[in-house]
Amino acid sequence: MIVVVGSRHDPVAAALVEAWEGAALCSAEDLTRPGWAWSSTAPASSRWVVDGAVVEDRLVTGVFVRRSRVYADELSSTHPDDRAYLAAESHAFLVFVLATTRATVVSQAADGTLGDEGLGPERWMPAATGLGMQVAPLRLASRRVAARRLTTSVVEVVADQAFGDVPARSAARAVALVEALGLRWAAVVFDGRHRVVAVTGARSPGAEATAALARLLTAPSPLRS
Amino acid sequence: MILVWGPSDDPPLELVLAALRHRPVDVVHVGDGDLATLAYDVRLADRPTGWLQVEGREVALESVTGVYVRPGEEVASPEAAAAAGALLLVASCSAATVVNRPEAGRSNWSKPFQLGLIAAAGFAVPETLVTTDPAAAKAFLAQHQRLVYKSVSGVRSIVSTLDADDATRLDGVSTGPVQLQRWVDGRDVRVHVVGDRWFATEVESDAPDYRYAGLTGRSVRLAACQLPAEIGRRLVALTRHLGLLVSGVDLRRTLDGTWVCFEVNPSPGFSFYEECTGQPIAAAIADLLVGGGVGGGAGPARA
Repeated sequence: MIVVVGSRHDPVAAALVEAWEGAALCSAEDLTRPGWAWSSTAPASSRWVVDGAVVEDRLVTGVFVRRSRVYADELSSTHPDDRAYLAAESHAFLVFVLATTRATVVSQAADGTLGDEGLGPERWMPAATGLGMQVAPLRLASRRVAARRLTTSVVEVVADQAFGDVPARSAARAVALVEALGLRWAAVVFDGRHRVVAVTGARSPGAEATAALARLLTAPSPLRS
Repeated sequence: MILVWGPSDDPPLELVLAALRHRPVDVVHVGDGDLATLAYDVRLADRPTGWLQVEGREVALESVTGVYVRPGEEVASPEAAAAAGALLLVASCSAATVVNRPEAGRSNWSKPFQLGLIAAAGFAVPETLVTTDPAAAKAFLAQHQRLVYKSVSGVRSIVSTLDADDATRLDGVSTGPVQLQRWVDGRDVRVHVVGDRWFATEVESDAPDYRYAGLTGRSVRLAACQLPAEIGRRLVALTRHLGLLVSGVDLRRTLDGTWVCFEVNPSPGFSFYEECTGQPIAAAIADLLVGGGVGGGAGPARA
């Protein structure tokens, strides 16, 4: 079973559930439903709640993470006064689950964060420059700075495969960068000078990447052997 | 140049600022109230370059050799949020000594996640269950007879206890994840690690959560104590393993002498302990910021 961790309001998450046979959505609401049990000492007996149903962790082959946070506004069945606290608790719990599930997680929580929250320039820039890649400088200024129009190209990386209309050298470097970041899926954005502009896991995967992700997420996880 | 960022009325920040101002070093302070009007131009390709305008001065980022980061909880405007984002990026990427780099503190956002890192570093940790299943919670209580429950996230909560006859209260876990831990008997010890140094404080209290003993009419007494050097060195290593230079580690020494580790706080409110014990924690942080002082030999700090 593939679990897509995302929002009920995310059309990309819904499309992936539709595209992947046997996949189901684990929503913010599921994080607050009865049935979860996640133990530090008995990981084999851990249980999810997915689309309202209790699912044993051993039945989950892959997890695709489509969110960076659990938002208070998603918890509409919770009293408004409790939503912010419960969202923080659910987020923290989800980090723990994703770090300890025996399934293949795309992409794994890093530094206690989910999704792109842990994928800022402070993380990918040193990794890129460490691989000898050029990066487009980032500028943050308090006064308005004239923005330059960027021509960009995107490489989608799933494990060691790259998809996108870019030179082979850029594709190979994108694969190396994603691997260096410890990710199994990401889109690497280049500018017209082949400098890295951004790395993100929030992009909607294209058709080829979607198919590659399905294969990755249904393969037996090395953690189960 | 040392850059300090955080609210002016924050006691730990006040102590660090005061200690820095007694040293021959240039110090600038960005208060949370300054963020909305902060002028800055930061460029990042590898290390940050550019400038900030602080206290009427233009500070070149290349001249910053130490950064102390302890921002408040909320920013009030988009301008303040943007400035906070720029400062966080500087703190993350600067070649300076940074106490602490923002990303290093994120493990504490999920306590059971961090507990896994602590266990992987070789410390004993309490058995933990996070659940929304009342039956699982009751079985865990039946197994251990006494539990504590506390927040899963970094949101501060009062640690409370559950005994075997409290099982019906666990029906309430069905509305959201609850973290339960086996109760560990013993004496609390809070250790502040600063670079290679450590300051240990023994806590004597009859409250399950000594930080709130006063609120519940319980007693608490803090005293500086000696920590076995091996434990101190392992805490220094754990702190570095988590990417931190300064930490506040919550430990309990059990009756059989085992050291159980509960949490590593990446932004410790050490002023409470400093005021009670006289341990010069702020001074040690100031020394670290001024001298980049790791690698000078690990050991217990002396008041």
